[in-house]
Amino acid sequence: MAASMLCKRVAMLTRVINGLSVSKTVITVKSPNGLLLQTASYNPKPLKLNIKEPYIPDKNSEKTPEWQKTARYDSKLYGRYGSASGISPESLWPSHKQLESIIAEENEWHPPLEEMLKNIEAREKEETEKRLAREKLIADNMAKMPKMIADWRKEKHEKKRKLKEEKARRARLLAEAKERFGHAVDPRSSKFLEMVAEIEKEEKKKKKLLKRRLRMEQVGAPDTPPSAAS
Amino acid sequence: MSFTKKTGSKALDALQNLPRITLANLRPEPGAKKAEKRRGRGQHGGNRSGRGHKGERQRGTRPRLGFEGGQSPFYLIIPKYGYNEGHSRRPQYQPLSLKRLQYLIDLGRVDPNQPIDLTQLVNARGVTVQPLKRDYGVQLVDEGADIFAAKINIEVQRASEGAIAAIERNGGVITTSFYDPISLGILIKPVPFFLRGQPIPKRMFPGEDMVPYYRGAENRGYLADPEQIREARLALARKYGYVLPDISKDELYHMLSMRKDVRQIFFGLSPGWVVNMADKKILKPTDEKLVQYYSS
Repeated sequence: MAASMLCKRVAMLTRVINGLSVSKTVITVKSPNGLLLQTASYNPKPLKLNIKEPYIPDKNSEKTPEWQKTARYDSKLYGRYGSASGISPESLWPSHKQLESIIAEENEWHPPLEEMLKNIEAREKEETEKRLAREKLIADNMAKMPKMIADWRKEKHEKKRKLKEEKARRARLLAEAKERFGHAVDPRSSKFLEMVAEIEKEEKKKKKLLKRRLRMEQVGAPDTPPSAAS
Repeated sequence: MSFTKKTGSKALDALQNLPRITLANLRPEPGAKKAEKRRGRGQHGGNRSGRGHKGERQRGTRPRLGFEGGQSPFYLIIPKYGYNEGHSRRPQYQPLSLKRLQYLIDLGRVDPNQPIDLTQLVNARGVTVQPLKRDYGVQLVDEGADIFAAKINIEVQRASEGAIAAIERNGGVITTSFYDPISLGILIKPVPFFLRGQPIPKRMFPGEDMVPYYRGAENRGYLADPEQIREARLALARKYGYVLPDISKDELYHMLSMRKDVRQIFFGLSPGWVVNMADKKILKPTDEKLVQYYSS
C-alpha cells in the first residue's frame, strides 16, 4: 500500500520535474515484481577547479615557496590540471632508485602471504602441542587420583588406629600401676617409669621365649634340626 | 526594487527581484540571540557576581576531577585489569545493519545493480569511515535480517553469520576483504586521491593476526578458496533452512560474480594506474620494473 503510494508520488514528481528542466537525472526502474523503484544517481560534490587559469608556480623564482618546488607538488599539479600543467606524466611514478627502496621496505615490513601462512601454521602447531601436552599431563594425573585417595584414606585410618592403641596401652599401664602401688601414680614419676621399663623387659623376654619355642617347634617337625649343627 | 500594482504577482515579483540569499545578507531572527549577561555592573559593583563567598568556588580553582582532598582517590584504589588492554589501538569497524542497507537501497542511495563496496556506501552517506581513528572499514550487522530483500553483491570488512545468511538467501553475494589504512583512505575518498596525481597503490595483505579471518570460507573471506566458499554457502543454507538460489542462471550473474583482485582497490582499476580527472584519462605505466612491481 505504502509502496504503491510512494511509486505514484515518485511518478508525479518525475513528471513535474521533467516539465521543468533539471540537470540531475532521476531514473525510474521497473522491477520484476511490478514495484516501481527509484534509482537516483550519485550527486557528487562539484569539483571546484580553476582549470581555465591554472596556477603553475615558477620554479626559478625566489618568491615561490619551497614546498611548491617539490616533486610531490608537481604530481599534485598534474592531478589537478592534467596536461595543462606542463608536467611530464613519467614523473608521476617512482624512479628506479625510489622503486628499489620501496621494494626493500615492502620486503621488510610486508612478508608474502605464503610466509605468513607458514608462520601461522607453525604457531598453531606449537600451541596445539603445548595444549595436548598439558591435557595429557592432566589426564595422567587424574588417572592416578583414585589410588592416591585410597592410600591417603588408609594412612589416615592407620594413624587413628595407632593413636587409639597407644591410648589404650597407657590406660592399661596406669591401671596396672594403680593396682601394684595401691594408688594413682603420676605418669611422669620415676616410679612409674621404672615400672613401665620392667614390664617392657618382661614383655621382651616373653616375646623372645615365644619366638624360640616357635622356632623349636618348626625345626622339630623336620627330621634334622639345623640348630644342633651350629 | 519596484513592485507592480497587481497583488497576485507581488510575491513572485519579490522572489524575482530580490537578491539571491547568501551568507552575506542573512542575519539572525530578531529575538534569536540573547545579549550576554554582564556580571558585577551598576549597583552590584562590590558584590560577588553570583559566585558565593571566598574560596575555590569563587576563584574557580577547584581541584582536578576525581581528587578527594588528599586521600587515595577511588580511581586509583580499584586495581587495573587487562580487559581493556590496548583498547586505543584495536581496529574499529563501523556497524552497518541490514536494515539500514535496505533503507539506502529503497531510497536509491545505493544502486543494487552494481557491486557495492565501501566507496558506494560512503558516497551514499550510509556509513562514515575514519581511517585515522583506527577504522578498518564496516561490519555488516544482522539487525533487520528478516526484512532484508535485495539481491546485491556487497564487499564489507567484517560480517556476522546472520547477515551472510540473509544476503545469500536473497541470491546475493558477500565478500569480506581487508584494506590497509592507506588503501582504505583511497577507497573512501577516491576523488581527492585522483587529484593528488599519484599511481594507485597495491592493496596490502592483512597482518598475521587477521589472515585466518580472511582465509576462512565461513567468513566469505577474500583469501579463501572459492571451492570451500561454495561448500560453506551450502552449509549455511542448510543451517538456516533456506534454499540457496542458483546464481549462475541469474540475469545479473555477471554483476554478482564480480570480485576484486587481492591487490586491487577499485573495480576496473589496477594498481599502478594514474587516473586524471582534468584530462579524463587513465595513464598506465609501461616501464618493465614498474609493471612487475605493481603486478606482483
